[in-house]
Amino acid sequence: MKNTNKYKAKKGIVEAIKLLFFLVITLIVFLPILVTIFAAFKTQFQIGSEFPLKPPTQFFWDNFKFVFEKGNVFTGLKNSLILVTVSVVINAILSTMIAYILSRFDFKLKKMYYLIFLMGMLVPGFVTEIARFGIISKVGIYDTLLAPIVIYIGTDLMQIYIYMQFMNQIPLSIDESAMIDGASYFTIYRKVIFPMVVPATATLGILKAVEVMNDMYIPYLYMPSEGKRTLTTMLMSFASQRSGAWPQLSAAVIIVMIPTVTLYIIFQKYIFDGIVAGAVKE
Amino acid sequence: MFDNRNRQKNIIIVSFLIIPTILLALFVIYPLFKLFYLSFTDWDGMSKTIGFVGTNNYIDVFKDNDVWVSLRNNGIYFVIHLMFIPIEMFIAFLLDDKVRFSKTFKGIVFLPYIINGVAVAYMFSFLYSSQGGVLNEILALFGANPVKWISSEETVNFSLSAVSIWRFCGIHIILFLAGIQSISKEMLEAARVDGASSFKVFSKIVIPNIRTVIEIILFLNVRGALMIFDIPFVMTSGGPGTSSTTFTLYTIQQAFKYSHFGKASAMAVVLLVMIVILSTIQKKIISEKR
Repeated sequence: MKNTNKYKAKKGIVEAIKLLFFLVITLIVFLPILVTIFAAFKTQFQIGSEFPLKPPTQFFWDNFKFVFEKGNVFTGLKNSLILVTVSVVINAILSTMIAYILSRFDFKLKKMYYLIFLMGMLVPGFVTEIARFGIISKVGIYDTLLAPIVIYIGTDLMQIYIYMQFMNQIPLSIDESAMIDGASYFTIYRKVIFPMVVPATATLGILKAVEVMNDMYIPYLYMPSEGKRTLTTMLMSFASQRSGAWPQLSAAVIIVMIPTVTLYIIFQKYIFDGIVAGAVKE
Repeated sequence: MFDNRNRQKNIIIVSFLIIPTILLALFVIYPLFKLFYLSFTDWDGMSKTIGFVGTNNYIDVFKDNDVWVSLRNNGIYFVIHLMFIPIEMFIAFLLDDKVRFSKTFKGIVFLPYIINGVAVAYMFSFLYSSQGGVLNEILALFGANPVKWISSEETVNFSLSAVSIWRFCGIHIILFLAGIQSISKEMLEAARVDGASSFKVFSKIVIPNIRTVIEIILFLNVRGALMIFDIPFVMTSGGPGTSSTTFTLYTIQQAFKYSHFGKASAMAVVLLVMIVILSTIQKKIISEKR
């Protein structure tokens, strides 16, 4: 009896230490974000004179107003949303199509196809960017939204690979019974296989959305003109004109953070599932 | 009936693969070959005539002092991230236990990874700034002298690595956690019943059972450290001088700032080779320990 009490006490202490430890981590995660939020509501004078961890005494919205007036926020948001929607949808369709073929059929060039595939997965996109740049301008889509879109959807071998892993787990007997019922291969893909990978599609789609939303160097390289800014490149150009103006820059940073953080808060569970699926199934 | 099926099969294979294959060929395969080709030329990115210069670009890359400086900087990111791996593993181990709020903590730890990288870079620029920057103000509270976090050659790479740690630790922790959660609960219970301490459980059961995850994270670490780009690009653009240039940043600068596409291509090829070699070595080391 005494022993269990002691055990409980010890367990309580361990748990308290753990909580404290987590609290410190939480603080480290939130400190930069918190300071930025504080700064966004202060004036330039307050930034120079007040202790940065002091919360703003009154909410000074002018910084946000300034960013909206001068920062092309709506153009950036519009472009980012177009990129995200188009690339997530088309990517899901094309990736599941390839994955369906590779997980279900045998054909002459399959081995070679697969080999090229694995090789492509090993090569980081960045490496080929220099050569890709010439192709994009030759095809005539430089400085259009199409340039990042074709790159986002054409090069994501990882997603195809994960879809394949999911489809490999679906027993072939399901296809066969659909086939006996007279379904064509296309019907099987559309009515049987695709619906079964919808959960994976949700997960991978959200990951893709976050990636596209936050990407910097593809829009930076391929869409230099002002009307083609995404939220990310809009932030960069705004910052380059306002260096040292921390309150306004902080407001811009927060505006840019909001879409993905909102996505994250709503779809947290799916994001974790996607990361885990990508890793454990490799 | 059978013939019909076969024809249908061919039709679906061709029609489903045609668009993705064209995209892959155009934006993954062809650029790769083009890259090798360009690395032997003096192309400036614009001109129609491309001069063949043999291995000159590669020799140039090896002789370029700034390349070595940038590689050393990548090395700093690599080593610092490597040092954090045991800590990340330990945090994941703690999160796995049914601690109160562990789900919330999981969400918090992962948050930085979701935030826009450029936004993160500016956030930390403010933290490190010399005018009203948070870190120096906190130091001042204790009467310490201000530090030139990102404007001095000695500290800049460590300051930038800290940002990278802040941003990427979360994903490692989540991956480790996934590995730990795939270990059967019975095995862990059995060890505990036999009186093994938490440390023993961690070192004798958890670590050996998450080898694959460790392998993946080491691979991500090699790749990530070699490819680190947006943090130095936004925060210091490689400066002061070239003290925080990374290999990828220097490559991009060579191509798009100085129009040395040939040399930049050679650097990209070198990067690819380095990633392949380092990953292979790491894989060898890990599988030998098994």
